[in-house]
Amino acid sequence: MSSRRTRAWDLVGLVARLVLAAVFIGFGWVKATESPAEMRVAVQAYHLVPPALVDVVAAILPYLEIATGFLLLLGLATRIGAALTTVMMVGFLFGLGWVVAKGYSIDCGCSGGGGAVAAGDTHYTEEILRDVGLLILSAYLLFRPRSALSVDGLTRRADADQEGDEYDDDLGHPAAVHNSEDV
Amino acid sequence: MAKDDRNKVPGIVSGGPKGGSKGKVGKPGKGDRMSVASARKSSGDRTQLIIGAVAILIIIAVIVVGLVMYSKNNAVQGAGNVSTKSVATMSAPGEITVSNGSPALKLDVYEDALCPICADLEHQFGGQMAKAVDDGQLTLTYKMVDFLNSSSHSGTYSARALAALMTVAKVDGAKPGVWMAFHTALYNADNQPKEGGTTDLSNAQLADLAGKLGASADAKKQITDGVEVSAATASATANLASLTAAAAKVGRGAGTPTVTKDGVPVDTNDTAWLTNLLPKSESSTPTSSN
Repeated sequence: MSSRRTRAWDLVGLVARLVLAAVFIGFGWVKATESPAEMRVAVQAYHLVPPALVDVVAAILPYLEIATGFLLLLGLATRIGAALTTVMMVGFLFGLGWVVAKGYSIDCGCSGGGGAVAAGDTHYTEEILRDVGLLILSAYLLFRPRSALSVDGLTRRADADQEGDEYDDDLGHPAAVHNSEDV
Repeated sequence: MAKDDRNKVPGIVSGGPKGGSKGKVGKPGKGDRMSVASARKSSGDRTQLIIGAVAILIIIAVIVVGLVMYSKNNAVQGAGNVSTKSVATMSAPGEITVSNGSPALKLDVYEDALCPICADLEHQFGGQMAKAVDDGQLTLTYKMVDFLNSSSHSGTYSARALAALMTVAKVDGAKPGVWMAFHTALYNADNQPKEGGTTDLSNAQLADLAGKLGASADAKKQITDGVEVSAATASATANLASLTAAAAKVGRGAGTPTVTKDGVPVDTNDTAWLTNLLPKSESSTPTSSN
C-alpha cells in the first residue's frame, strides 16, 4: 500500500498543498488587510462582477482565500480545499481572459492593489501563467487529495488502526466492543 | 445513517441467517466479512463527513468574520456633515488649503479626481473631515494629481477637474463651504467619471456643477474656457513629485488617496485615523455648527 511510488505522489501532493497554501494565505492576507475600498476597486476593474455583488465579492474573497489556504496547509479536507482553489483559479483565469479580450488595462489585484493601470503596465502573460500553474496544482489535489503530513492522512490512519485491531486482526472477538466504544 | 448501519452490523447480521455463526462461538462467516468491510467503509465515510463538516464550518466562520470586519472598516464617519464655514485659498499653485481659523492639525490630501478610492475616502471620511474643518480643528491642503488622465475618456479629465478646483479656490475661495462642496461633488457617484469609461465631464459640465454649488459666473466662465488647465497640469506634476517623496518614506509607491501629516503618510485603512489625530478634548465637545 505504501509503496515507494505512492509515497512519492504523496510528497507531490504535499508540495502542491504547501504552494497553494502559501499563495492563498499570502495573497488573501494582503487583500484582507488593505482598505476595503482598494479591494472594491480591484473587483470593479474587471467590469465583470455586477455592481450589486462587488461588495460581496470584495468582502468575502480575501477571507475565503485565507480559509482555503489554511485547509490546504493542514491537509484538512484536502479535496474540499482543492475544489475551492480550483473554482477560484478558474474564476481568476476567466477574469483575466475577459480583461484581455475586452482590452482593459488593469492590475489583476491578485496580491492586493488592483484597479486600472497604464496600458503598458499590465502583466497579463505572467499572471495567466502563474494562475495556470496554480490551477494545475489545484486540479491535481482535487483528483488525488492524498498527501504526506496531512490531517486527512492522520485520521485515515487512525481509522485504519482502529478497525484493523477490532475487525481484521481479531475477528474472533465480539465486534460489540467496537460498538460500545463508539456509540 | 452511517451510524445506524454500523450499529446493525454485529448484532443483526452476524446473528442473521447468512451469518456463519451457528453456535455460540462468534466466528464470523462470509456474511460477516462483507459487513465488516462495509462497516469499515462507513466508518471512514463518517470520518470524512466530520472532516468535511469541520472544513465547511471553518470556511463559514472565517467568511463571517470577514464580512463583519469589512462592514466595520467601511463604516461611514461623520455622516451627513457638510462644511459651511471653511474657506479655501490657493496656498501654492495647485495646493488648495481649506480651514476655518488656523488650527494646529494640518494634513495634506493627495487625490486624483478620477480615482475611485479617493471617492471612497470622501464618502467614508468626508463628513468627518468637513466637521473637523468647520470646528476649527483641522486644516486640509489638497494636492491634486492628474496621473489618471489617460484612464479618462477625454484623456485630460484629472487635469481639467484640478483646473476647475483651482479656479473656484481663486475666484470663490472666500465663500464659506463652496470649494469643499464642489470638491465633494466631484467625487459624487453621479458626477465622477469611470476609469476607462465612455464619457467624462467637459469643462462646461464642470463649470455647470461648480455653479450649482455656489461658484460665481466669473469662475464658471474661467472653468469653461479652461483658463487654469496648463497651470493645473504643471501643479499636478509638482504634487506627484511631492506625493512620491512622501510615499517613499513608508516604502510605498505614489498612490491616491494619500493623507500625510508632516510629509509622512497616515494609515487611512484604520477607520479611526482622523479621530486619533484630532485633539482629544475638543473633539468630544459638542459644537453648535451643523
